[in-house]
Amino acid sequence: MFTLPVVTLVGILLLYPIAQTVYHSFTVWDGITSHWVGTATYSQLFAKPEFVQVLENNALLVLSIPVAIAFPLGVAFLIQSKLRGWRFFRSVFFLPTAVSWVVIAYVGIRFFADDGILQHLLNGVGLGFWHPNMLSNERSALIAVMITFVWSMFGTNLIIFLAGMATVDQELYDAARVDGAGSFTVLTKITIPLLRRFIQFAFIVTLIAAFTALFSLIFVMTSGGPGYGTTTLEFFIYEQAFQTGDFGLASTAGVILFLAVAAVGLMQLRFFKGED
Amino acid sequence: MVELRAEPEGRGWRHYGSRAVVYALLALITVVMLYPFYYMGINSVRSLDQYYAGHGFSLASWRNLFHTLPIGRQLLNSTIITLSAIAIILAVSTTGGYAFAVLRYRASRLVFVAIVAAMMVPIQSIIAPEFVNLAHWGFINHRYGAILVYAALGAPFATFLMTVYFQRIPVDVVEAALIDGLGYGRIFFRIMLPLAVPAMATIAVLQFIFVWDDLLVGLLFLQNPDVRPITVGLATIPSQHLLDIPLLMAGSLISALPAVIVYLLFQRYLMSGLTMGISK
Repeated sequence: MFTLPVVTLVGILLLYPIAQTVYHSFTVWDGITSHWVGTATYSQLFAKPEFVQVLENNALLVLSIPVAIAFPLGVAFLIQSKLRGWRFFRSVFFLPTAVSWVVIAYVGIRFFADDGILQHLLNGVGLGFWHPNMLSNERSALIAVMITFVWSMFGTNLIIFLAGMATVDQELYDAARVDGAGSFTVLTKITIPLLRRFIQFAFIVTLIAAFTALFSLIFVMTSGGPGYGTTTLEFFIYEQAFQTGDFGLASTAGVILFLAVAAVGLMQLRFFKGED
Repeated sequence: MVELRAEPEGRGWRHYGSRAVVYALLALITVVMLYPFYYMGINSVRSLDQYYAGHGFSLASWRNLFHTLPIGRQLLNSTIITLSAIAIILAVSTTGGYAFAVLRYRASRLVFVAIVAAMMVPIQSIIAPEFVNLAHWGFINHRYGAILVYAALGAPFATFLMTVYFQRIPVDVVEAALIDGLGYGRIFFRIMLPLAVPAMATIAVLQFIFVWDDLLVGLLFLQNPDVRPITVGLATIPSQHLLDIPLLMAGSLISALPAVIVYLLFQRYLMSGLTMGISK
């Protein structure tokens, strides 16, 4: 009886629709009438050049994850928890997490635009002849999205690594120092191996964010363009359903996204169990 | 003696030198993280002409903003939607978590797994059927439609968290209460809920930021500007205003502010929620 509310809510609004998505992924569906086609919908989807580009964009997003992990890992190593004022820095670095992607995107446009902050910085250091104008080119627009993403994930991953650092026995560090190990040796030989679990966790959190949390950023900053340059899988689904009106194809792509996220989720489950 | 060998450089220039480098680096990152807020602030208090000139201050853009978007109304919508969704999430996750952790009926394990599995359903994957269903039920353009969707999205993780939290409470506590003649309902309200306040705070802060900042659900399920939350209003500002940077910055600032304040006041809970997944 106590579980009735949560079962009803999740059942009707999450589990039933995902079943519908799976069913309709095999149909032609405009939102009103649908008819069964079978697996042809999948081969149709993968035959679309724009969909191949969408998958490529998602693959490129994955490339930003090591960067999104390396920066905060290095900084967490520097801060640890003994540097005076570390709480202040932690609060400041985590602040973007509280801010909507919509807001970040509006500032992002001002940063990357041809007359924007980045160009002013370039002018300032004597590189004014170079106009990257990043949002006007397919690849560089995707890089702009990735940079914004890395910027915003910094705090989240920092918190994860600081929590990890706190679990490392301080005496290990002291012992290493006594043995004459330099900071870099300590980082690669002690900290990173001991933080493996936290690095995996950060990887999964960042990957899921890259695949499912960037809709608003892309919607406002690039609308998926230029061309399909910044259309990722999640944005493609929205676009197919609500701009093209092809609910069937949106469902087919929806299944692919769901499978990707579920695979990552199972990975997470497996490595938690592996720890016990 | 040992300390001397441990740090051969002692407190010499190398020690303070490297510390200065670390602080310089942290200061640089601070600038990179805070610059957007400075940029929004400084440009929101300029008129469009002053923005192009790069100097001067006026409140023209703020006045403009209130004529462009129904700011007050949309802030109110955001507040109603966010707080209602949080209330529902807390209600269903505490009761559900209590049942999964303490009552454990037949097949409850299976139901629990189904709820946890729902965590892996991204909203984008189900957006087409969800829209069709809500339209069919007449829930589009009503705040309660979006509230229910947000509640469903937040419920699986919250329920998982509450279940784990309640499992940590010793069985003796419940058994002692049963012997004292308390029913399961009273045990829940009198003993479990008060113990669960920190976990509930974590869920509330996480969800406040998620729902307040979200775009997709409000964009699709609330298409009438009068029922839209502020984040959606800002993202769908009519295109003739998109070149009015000071106006956009004023709008960005006001829509970001509530979530930032919640973050600054309750960041402790947010951070513990983030690491709760890994620390044992």
